[in-house]
Amino acid sequence: MRSNLLRTMLGAAGAVLLAGAAFAQDTIRIGVTQPLTGAFAADGNYVVQGAKLAAEAINKAGGVNGKQLQLIVEDNKSNPTEAAATAERLIVEDKVPVMMGAWGSSLTLAVMPKLVEYKVPMVVETSSSGKITTSGNPYIFRISPTSEMEARAFAPLVGTMGIKKADFLATNDDFGKGSMQEFTKMLKQKGVAIGASETMAEDATDLSAQLAKIKASGGDTIFVTTDVKQLTLILKQAKDQQVTARIITTGGSVSPDQLIEQAGGAANGSYHLVFFTPWFPDAVKNPDVAKAFMQAWSDAKYDVGGLTEGFRGWDGIYTIAAAVKDAGKADPAAITKALWGVHVRGVNGDIAFIKQGPAGRESGQSVPGVYLVKIDGGKVVQP
Amino acid sequence: MRRLAILALLALLLSVPLWVGNFYVLHVLIVTGIFTIAAMSLNLLLGYTGQLSLGHAVFFGIGAYVSALVSLGFAVHLAPDWLVTLDPQPVWLAMLCAVAIAGLCGWAIGRVSFKVRGAYFVIVTISFAEVARLVALNWDELTQGPMALNNIPPLAVSLPGLDEFDFIGKVPNYYLVLVAAILAYVVIARLVHSRAGRAMIALKENEPLASSVGIEVTRYLVLAAVVSAAIAGAAGALYAHYIQIVDPNVFMFLYTVTMVIMVVAGGKGTLAGPIVGGLIFGLLPEVLRSFAIRPEVQWVAYGVLMILIVYLLPNGIVPAVASLWNRAGRADAPAAPTTGSSPGRIVP
Amino acid sequence: MLGGIYALLGIGLTLIFGIMRVVNFTHGELYSFGAYMMFMFVMLLHLDFFLSLVLATALGVALGAVIEFVLLRRLRGADIDTTMLVMIGAWIAMQNVEQLIWSGVAKSITSPFPSAPLVLGGISVAWSRLFVFAVALLLIAGTYALVDRTRIGRAMRATFQDGDTARLMGVDIDTTYLATFALGSGLAAAAGALLGPVFVVTPGMGDLAALKAFAIVILGGLGSILGATIGGFLLAFIEELGAGYLSSGYRDAMGFALIILVLLMRPTGLISRKDRIG
Repeated sequence: MRSNLLRTMLGAAGAVLLAGAAFAQDTIRIGVTQPLTGAFAADGNYVVQGAKLAAEAINKAGGVNGKQLQLIVEDNKSNPTEAAATAERLIVEDKVPVMMGAWGSSLTLAVMPKLVEYKVPMVVETSSSGKITTSGNPYIFRISPTSEMEARAFAPLVGTMGIKKADFLATNDDFGKGSMQEFTKMLKQKGVAIGASETMAEDATDLSAQLAKIKASGGDTIFVTTDVKQLTLILKQAKDQQVTARIITTGGSVSPDQLIEQAGGAANGSYHLVFFTPWFPDAVKNPDVAKAFMQAWSDAKYDVGGLTEGFRGWDGIYTIAAAVKDAGKADPAAITKALWGVHVRGVNGDIAFIKQGPAGRESGQSVPGVYLVKIDGGKVVQP
Repeated sequence: MRRLAILALLALLLSVPLWVGNFYVLHVLIVTGIFTIAAMSLNLLLGYTGQLSLGHAVFFGIGAYVSALVSLGFAVHLAPDWLVTLDPQPVWLAMLCAVAIAGLCGWAIGRVSFKVRGAYFVIVTISFAEVARLVALNWDELTQGPMALNNIPPLAVSLPGLDEFDFIGKVPNYYLVLVAAILAYVVIARLVHSRAGRAMIALKENEPLASSVGIEVTRYLVLAAVVSAAIAGAAGALYAHYIQIVDPNVFMFLYTVTMVIMVVAGGKGTLAGPIVGGLIFGLLPEVLRSFAIRPEVQWVAYGVLMILIVYLLPNGIVPAVASLWNRAGRADAPAAPTTGSSPGRIVP
Repeated sequence: MLGGIYALLGIGLTLIFGIMRVVNFTHGELYSFGAYMMFMFVMLLHLDFFLSLVLATALGVALGAVIEFVLLRRLRGADIDTTMLVMIGAWIAMQNVEQLIWSGVAKSITSPFPSAPLVLGGISVAWSRLFVFAVALLLIAGTYALVDRTRIGRAMRATFQDGDTARLMGVDIDTTYLATFALGSGLAAAAGALLGPVFVVTPGMGDLAALKAFAIVILGGLGSILGATIGGFLLAFIEELGAGYLSSGYRDAMGFALIILVLLMRPTGLISRKDRIG
């Protein structure tokens, strides 16, 4: 039981003043929190570029319900506390009715209590940790695959690739550890031995100690979960240390194009689980959507290496736009309700939400595609 | 006259939530208030004993982590088969633990660090902060590492005869921080004006002389460190339960630097200095932000401003304003309005 | 390899610290400045890798001289805290200017070395790391010779021992300080330029580097080039040991734990004259 008397008295004056300012907006504001600086800066910037392209495309086509979309982008600095602060700013100060974010799993988890506090829905475009949709937060709508989905999609390949003993190298956050846990579970079921399970700080640049331990374990395959910047270093340093095991990356945030450009020959022979295959646009579910996105991306002269990350922002904004259209108004509760009913043809397959988590407080989870590609001879190929 | 000014200031601060309707402004004021408390605690060391501690975020961070962990509960292996568990405790108890443990750390670190002076002292304190950050980052069974401690409960108080009251939302937290700040101010003011406080200032002015007249140097320094650390720990605990998330970055050097800037810009060794500095440097980033200035440019401005303050107002804003006040035809006034009674002003 | 880089950083800082009594918080920024200049020359202007290295170091020297001339010259005689605050302000400003220009996204620099490592009796060493190590040793030796043999070096040593006497004896303090700061900054920039191509370049890369440099200075003792060299290698060695036997996550904590230990047992560093205030 809480006594609301004191709080009501104290808060009354503030609430009255606030009420007047909240309305009268000509645009539909969408809050975006992404890591624009810090360890995940490269990826966050690409997501924002994709989101901006989507907003431009929607606005050019007349906007939503006759109103233009306006993205308000905040930098969460790759830091959970900052992520929570950006959500606070976006919701309380900028009064956005819906958000997209926050790239990393730990960043998204940090934002989530704020969504409950202010009852504002958020479309999660990248994070893969299972916790996000199973903790009972009814304002979460995730369009990216979970680590468990990824592991399940990969399971049939364990036999064909002849994996006998696997090692892990992952970031020591929800993203890396979540992936490591799901893949370990899946591999053990398939009878694969697990060697070293090494973690690293997300901004670490010298990974020689971890690689030495993995090399000593003597597995045939290393599952790596991190972003593209750190993976570049890992590939180079693995080559320096003559680590010969096959490297497979999970999480979908390792742009193979960027790897080829930055790691050169060290990238050859590595496999990558990705959620969008711009090299084979006809292989995805909605080739026309994928081509429209790629056209907009190249028209904007954005970096080709960012396509595999940028599509997340594009799909996220299209999902939000569809929900706002169905809701008929830019109101958090109406948008939350409308999100449950959206059907969006996205770059990465069709987006629609199924329920996950404890009954009564379910989060939305979409079921996107997962693809495996290989880098061979400086080119991305289908293995 | 002076008493009147203080009363007016208090009335102004108390009435803020009544005329500031924007919750975001209140949020900024709350965070500013918390950092001002931390700056006040740093001022006790930096301003009154003259020891430049660049690891002050340690105590702030320890307060935040201890309070968060005690209120959330934890289970941690201290040895492979030695499991220590703690069930979630009430938040007020957690905050008291935070103050106590931060104070204890202040004692321990003080005992070690005060063996050295000058540049060595500065670096040793930085080292403590860095070790604390790396432990918080890597001991993830306890601290969750970079995943951060999330969903920290807000402070709840139950008074006899009243229902439980939760400090959720902006207005209750504003008053909570305000009360804590006043409390911290009173504690520091009393300490500074006590015998121990005079001994500390004597140390700062001339340590060899002070020790030759029988002042036990280390004892007073450690006393200052304990009180300072406990108050910083309280600020950290307030921070944890207000923003409800703590990650290892609370130990970052930048937080210490923010506190140092607040103290130095406001005027070290004056009671009002950290408050003035805290308000300016707490609100400045938000003011700059409201002009839609990019965050990098903001920080550049912050850095440049800091350099300018050191050049133009080497003793800080409060002493500068005070002397201006005195010069402006009030030479007959016995003391400057807020700082005159403080004997800690430095005359280089 | 890291030992050489740590030593370079430590020597630069220890000279500035020992001679000028300035706790130089911009040291880490000079380090990342060197790395960014390397990125600009090699990746954007497509200059020769080795030429770029020289240019980046030279620009580091120049930037150091500018900082000394603009910021520190007017603070002669100020207490150590005041200069420290100015340097902290400069550090914040510089890091954010860097972020503004280069964005927060990490940059990588391609190096001209063969990607196949050199294998010697079961131990494999990357060519690029070997090169870094060799150049670092060369620079350390060069600095040692400069301070030991040249006129300006003699002035530096004299100022270090007793600033006032040195001035009375006709040493030009301004020039000595300028040279010291420029030299220290150049070494930091060289370290950054060397290490940038091995890892990646980010605006925050200098922070940990600067903190480690502080650790090295403490280990080696104030103003001692030999001490900083030994301290640098010692820190690198202990970090490797810690990463191998404890947990790789605690690697960066080793140096700081070491500082605390050293100061407890031997408050004046491993190799140093007595230097305690108070």
